[in-house]
Amino acid sequence: MSDTTLSAAQRLVGVDIQESETNRAVVEAIEADNPDCSVQHMPGLVRITCPGRLVVNRETVEERLGREWETHEFQMAIVTYFGHIKEWDDDEIVIAWNH
Amino acid sequence: MAVKAIGEYRFPSRSRQELYGDDQLVSVWFADNPWWCAAAMFRAPQAMTWGDFWTQMVVPYAEEDPDWKADAAYSFSLWGVPLTPRPDQTLAELGIEHKDVIALRAA
Amino acid sequence: MTIAPDASRSASKKTRKLPMKQRYQALTRDLDWEPSYVDPKDMFPYTEFEGIKIHDWSKWEDPFRLTVDAYAKYQAEKDKRLYAVLDGFAQGQGHLSLTDASYLNTMKLFLQGVTPLEYQAHRNFAYLARHLAGPGPRFAALCQSIDEIRHAQTEIHTLSNYNKYYSGLHNYLQQHDRVWYLSVPKSFFDDALSAGPFEFLIAIGFSFEYLLTNLLFVPFMSGASFNGDLPTMTFGFSAQSDESRHMTLGLEAIKFLLEQDEDNVPIVQEWIDKWFWRGYRVTGLVAQMLDYMLPRKVMSWKEAFELYFEQQMMQGLFQDLAFYGITPPRHVEQALSEKEILSHQVYWVLYQFSHAAAFTTSVPDDEHMAWLSATYPDTFDKYFRPLWEKERRNIAAGGRHFVRGLPQLCQVCQIPMTFTEPGDPTTIAQRVSVYEGEKFNTCSDGCQWIFEREPEKYVQAWLPVHQIYQGNCGGPTLPDVLAWYGLQDGDSGEHKGSRDDLNWQRWHAQTPTGLGAEGEQ
Repeated sequence: MSDTTLSAAQRLVGVDIQESETNRAVVEAIEADNPDCSVQHMPGLVRITCPGRLVVNRETVEERLGREWETHEFQMAIVTYFGHIKEWDDDEIVIAWNH
Repeated sequence: MAVKAIGEYRFPSRSRQELYGDDQLVSVWFADNPWWCAAAMFRAPQAMTWGDFWTQMVVPYAEEDPDWKADAAYSFSLWGVPLTPRPDQTLAELGIEHKDVIALRAA
Repeated sequence: MTIAPDASRSASKKTRKLPMKQRYQALTRDLDWEPSYVDPKDMFPYTEFEGIKIHDWSKWEDPFRLTVDAYAKYQAEKDKRLYAVLDGFAQGQGHLSLTDASYLNTMKLFLQGVTPLEYQAHRNFAYLARHLAGPGPRFAALCQSIDEIRHAQTEIHTLSNYNKYYSGLHNYLQQHDRVWYLSVPKSFFDDALSAGPFEFLIAIGFSFEYLLTNLLFVPFMSGASFNGDLPTMTFGFSAQSDESRHMTLGLEAIKFLLEQDEDNVPIVQEWIDKWFWRGYRVTGLVAQMLDYMLPRKVMSWKEAFELYFEQQMMQGLFQDLAFYGITPPRHVEQALSEKEILSHQVYWVLYQFSHAAAFTTSVPDDEHMAWLSATYPDTFDKYFRPLWEKERRNIAAGGRHFVRGLPQLCQVCQIPMTFTEPGDPTTIAQRVSVYEGEKFNTCSDGCQWIFEREPEKYVQAWLPVHQIYQGNCGGPTLPDVLAWYGLQDGDSGEHKGSRDDLNWQRWHAQTPTGLGAEGEQ
């Protein structure tokens, strides 16, 4: 069933985000920083998938939100994800596979 | 492979035959009838005759199926081995043990 | 709240606070100490008996880098949002805005079957927060323990709003301990609770939270969203946001164990094999919920399984774990092959035993059957539609299919033995194992393998049917047992004409001036 030859850079990773006023800015920021991503709307949530790697940048979110946004606040948005949380610091969150 | 535990790990079965006195649990699996989502399980005396088991337990259960016919011909098997019970034989005489499953099919 | 970015403000904030990495380091490493007058083995007595070898606990990383201040701040915010929704719901007669009263059957199942597991998870993560020998995983387990009790509480609060108006929600704790179908999730979790700390981490943290949680929770929450149940959607998403952290803990746990010692690999593989199958069997309840219980469908079980399991886990996660020599779970092929029959088989069970349940069921109507045919073109019309057609004739003739007896149960998953042979949806699978002279029945190769791996454990199973026959469930007759289950009139049986159905029709037939129904016409 699965294509076993896909590398970590090719396999999809993704995150589901709750549909809300604040999170619209988060979704827009992810779309801006991840040109290869695809966005799917499901009841109550937005599902974003990317081949290999998905990044959330604090600065991009703040630009769209018009206020400060600490990356911890992403906890208010995330419903679920798949992949591995490779980095979560003050400036960015990165979801990617390791191997 | 044994359970890995912090001490001795040994507990009796919670459904061993002795908990049912002279009775035992017997399932009847209507193998060609999807009306029943699963086999029926009964508690029946080991000394109960097949005739009594059939009329007192199986039929009252099975006749809830509107297409069921108690007097039709059925074939029986126990773990794949054909079983040809006579009404006067007891469950014990038929070799039916605790938690056995009797498969029933239209003959 | 909208605050314009202000360079001087954010600069001053940054000098006040350490960066996330350092704060996390300070909390999880610098506050830890080496015991000087107590043997570490006495301090952490449960970390070796399972055979897992840990050489360096400091290698554990929590990618969320959560600290106490951030945890408290955001959890409080999540609760505030939820309770704002609950207030709006109560004030706005939210119980009338569902798609149909029958929708709540999904929430009855959730409250009875899942909420008590949240509490049990709280207990076991508290135990891990004490007994894991590394400060990083201890803190992550502590947060999860607090999360889990928050989930139990918010679910109870949320659904208590419906309890004022609907049946089947009033006695979920007693029912969780007693009722036949609830022994499925209960025994699953008891199995994990009675395992060692590392097996629990793989069982619940990894297999349940990472592999299967999306299949369990996201369909419930999307279903709530799609069926007018705003409070459940809100608690669900509120809980799911914690769930992401739990998934991370589970994934971190497995990678940590695999990296610590090669000898851990076969042990972890067996736990994955076991716990995938245990969890998968429990998700059968979700499968029927998606395809049968939701009045307005969100996605089919097949679609959910393909998306959340095949795509994300088989094509994503297990490719990653292959690096460590981990293979996809044993018996996964059977799970894949069942995706077009599972929901139909499980609902058929619940349908014919719903006279002994705290929810109601009904024959799918024409529109529903057309959806099932279109969604399951290879299986529904061939195997399952004929059963419903027969039941319609049965009802027309004055019957209603309620089984007059008790079903044979699987010794491991405790589900009535309904599952069929691989590749043959018409033949129920019967497996039997003999242990110390006694026969034990299982429903599948997966459950039989689990039984035979640890028979000493599963011979203790509290099987509802066997317990009834031993006389331990209130008495020998069906009314005795139902009373012992704590069921009341209106909780069980056929939905059409049930108390909830009649109330629903009455509430929606009222004129706009009717009590409690303003604005609903």
